[in-house]
Amino acid sequence: MSAQIPNIEDTRELLKKNQIGIVGVGETEQGKIPGKSSFHFLSEASKLAIEDAGLNKADVDGVITAFSLVEETFMHCTTFADYIGINPKYFESVAIGGATAVWMTAAAAMAINSGQAEVVLCVRGDNTLSGISSTGMIALIREMCHGEFEYPFGLTTPGGYALMAQRYLHESKGKREHLAAVAATMRQHAQLKENAMNKDDLTIDDIMGARLLASPLTKFDCSIISDGGAAFIVTTAAKAKELGLKKDPIYLHGMGQGFSHQYLTSCEDLDQIYGAIQKSGDKAFKTAGMSNQNVDITFLYDCFTITTLLELEGLGIVPRGQAGAAALEGRLHKDADIPLNTNGGLLSQAHLGAMHHVVEAVLQLRGEAGDRQVKDPNVALVHGNGGIVSAHSTILLGNEPLS
Amino acid sequence: MSEEKVEYAKPLPDFRPETKPFWEGTKQHKLLLPKCKETGKVFFYPRAISPFPGSVNMDFDWVESTGKGKVWTYSVHYMGPTKAYKGETYVVAIIELEDGVKMMSNVVDCDPESVTIGMEVEVVFEDATEEVTFAKFKPVQ
Repeated sequence: MSAQIPNIEDTRELLKKNQIGIVGVGETEQGKIPGKSSFHFLSEASKLAIEDAGLNKADVDGVITAFSLVEETFMHCTTFADYIGINPKYFESVAIGGATAVWMTAAAAMAINSGQAEVVLCVRGDNTLSGISSTGMIALIREMCHGEFEYPFGLTTPGGYALMAQRYLHESKGKREHLAAVAATMRQHAQLKENAMNKDDLTIDDIMGARLLASPLTKFDCSIISDGGAAFIVTTAAKAKELGLKKDPIYLHGMGQGFSHQYLTSCEDLDQIYGAIQKSGDKAFKTAGMSNQNVDITFLYDCFTITTLLELEGLGIVPRGQAGAAALEGRLHKDADIPLNTNGGLLSQAHLGAMHHVVEAVLQLRGEAGDRQVKDPNVALVHGNGGIVSAHSTILLGNEPLS
Repeated sequence: MSEEKVEYAKPLPDFRPETKPFWEGTKQHKLLLPKCKETGKVFFYPRAISPFPGSVNMDFDWVESTGKGKVWTYSVHYMGPTKAYKGETYVVAIIELEDGVKMMSNVVDCDPESVTIGMEVEVVFEDATEEVTFAKFKPVQ
């Protein structure tokens, strides 16, 4: 028989055989925290995740980091490995914007599946709010769009998402209230999350009455900028047992990516975006042998309210054009039928890519989410999105091994 | 008495050498689009290699656009990316040109809040500096 080209079935078999999962999570305080460097937050989050797992730092043999918006380094993962005193067998910096945190989990699994490492620390931390300079912020805005054919027209980061939001509202005959409902629900969830940055009451009326930044978006449609760190540890069930770790793994059931465009100029239409989201989700569902019907709790990338609606529809959780109405009906609340971002999301808890989404998914599946706990969830979906709804990544996590 | 020249303070394009024909075009108040010699199709944004599936062609013609199109989407910006925009309200839009490509630009010469999706627009040229002329759009009267 001729050699077969590896496919999703092989990934599924590897995940089944190796029983890869998250065994430790950690989150630092979040908000405006002057006096702590990016590497301080990385260290603190790593410490918390290592302690949560009941792990010895010396047993970590893989380090996956992302990037810093404040301390730009050419080799971020090894810079941090040096700083924390780990000599990793496997190291990688994942840098795909908001798709990063979700993909760190997948990258760790792929490293473990190929025998490169056994215990992988995935960590992100940054003093974005306190540390970024005004020139750094302008560089970031410019980085989000084409420096030659978009930025000179004065496009801002909220503006990029606003362009998509305006088109979405046009095609779905949606209303600004639909977007506002997402932000209001995230605020209700953040009020239950200890370390959330923004907890003041926020109603749909408050948002509708706020000044527009870039039509149709107000500042409440935009995620917050915060300081903080978060980490998680990925290993196999066998290794966790060998090391006598404290917590049962939360297992990785599937993963996938999907790409639409880098620059809005290259985006043909909303179908292209929905297609990329769907491709990312489908690959994860296929690996897991599941459909969106199996998902008990959902974490979507809410850097702006609009991304949440596009992702709900792209992943097929809500029919196309109906996510806004679902948000307005309160269906995204933790006690409703599509519990979403129970941590308060990037809109109200903190902004560290989807790191907090992964951590909260683990807490929920362990049953450790306290006042935010959704009743007995078995499967969580986490979706990240980098660029302006450009690059997508999805993982499925479960509290039982993949069977 | 000659008018005092005000320096252009807003962001200027970060040029890549391969886009030179485009900017040479706008300087002459012509909107030129790169056309792939292999597929015969125009594309935007200009770059060194054909973006079309299967094509690695790096040889292009530059064809003049009709300069007419429609607003595909827009956002009225009440806050700009740098201090130079302070106090300005302006429209960033993605224009769907008749030629079949989309480009980002500003919709000018109208009340920003009057812009709508589907609005018919045509190109106008704005000389920003001696080197840079922008292709912007205004509503068709």
